[in-house]
Amino acid sequence: MSAPQQNQLEALGLSANCADVVRHLWDYLDDQLTPDGAERLHAHMASCETCRGYSDYQSCFLEAVARLRARLDAPESLRAKLAEGLKSEGCSCWEDVTKDRASG
Amino acid sequence: MTMLASPRTSPAAPTVDAPRVSDASAAASSVSTVANAQRDVEFAREALPWLDDVYRFAHSLTRDEADADDVVQETYLRAYRSWHTFIPGTDCRRWLFTICRNVFLRSRERQRPTVDLEDGEQDALAAGSVYAAARESGYDDLYARLDIGPALRDAIDELAEPFRTAVVLVDVEDLSYESAAEVMDVPIGTVRSRLFRGRRLLQEKLASLAAEYGLAPAVAGSTR
Repeated sequence: MSAPQQNQLEALGLSANCADVVRHLWDYLDDQLTPDGAERLHAHMASCETCRGYSDYQSCFLEAVARLRARLDAPESLRAKLAEGLKSEGCSCWEDVTKDRASG
Repeated sequence: MTMLASPRTSPAAPTVDAPRVSDASAAASSVSTVANAQRDVEFAREALPWLDDVYRFAHSLTRDEADADDVVQETYLRAYRSWHTFIPGTDCRRWLFTICRNVFLRSRERQRPTVDLEDGEQDALAAGSVYAAARESGYDDLYARLDIGPALRDAIDELAEPFRTAVVLVDVEDLSYESAAEVMDVPIGTVRSRLFRGRRLLQEKLASLAAEYGLAPAVAGSTR
């Protein structure tokens, strides 16, 4: 870890044990850590209220971003235009464009 | 006029009639029709259900409804024309996102973004600073208390490329780092660093907005 980063952690009032959580919480929440690394963070958070709070905060943020997925659908005008485009390409399923909705 | 030669047959040979040219042509046409119908069924089943997802992605790229419409239209027409290149059983949404991004980049006649940030850790630490300020001021549960969706959507729209694409693909559309890397045509480590920068910028923006609306004190040291 670089000296400026070390200073940043000290400025946050974090112990060395909390440092790994701050540095790697996003990796942890994204399931990108090795099992050993994830277990180490998990074990620390179980015993550290500050880090649990930080984990909750970041989880809430990521959940809020993920909820945006349900907020914006393709407008009907686009569906109608695309249906016409596919029809002119000879696609026999062009009518399905205005019927189908995302299943993901 | 050139006559087609009849196959030589011995008297003992089977007496099945050779197909006439018009029959062969009709058969080929019939096979082609069946193949096209099959293609259309597969296209409708695999590609069309992702229209909303592709639209969201296109909207995040263009930040304009009319431009997003054009990009989506072109994406799906290209996908239909090149459906034979889609490998059955693979992730069709990822395939469509890749086409969509290419359509967008070509429409803007610009090179792919080349910003590479190696140090995602620095952004993680900066996000920790934002949280520390929030906790100190007692609004660290802001994300849980308020519907930040509209503000978040605006903040994402304001994010610079390539951070916006990374956030949209991974955090909104729930693609894995590997899939996002394929769509963005960059290494996985680059997805991570762009994603972390995007998240950090979003959290700083939201903290600033919270302060602006009197929901929280001003955040010192917020950077873009």
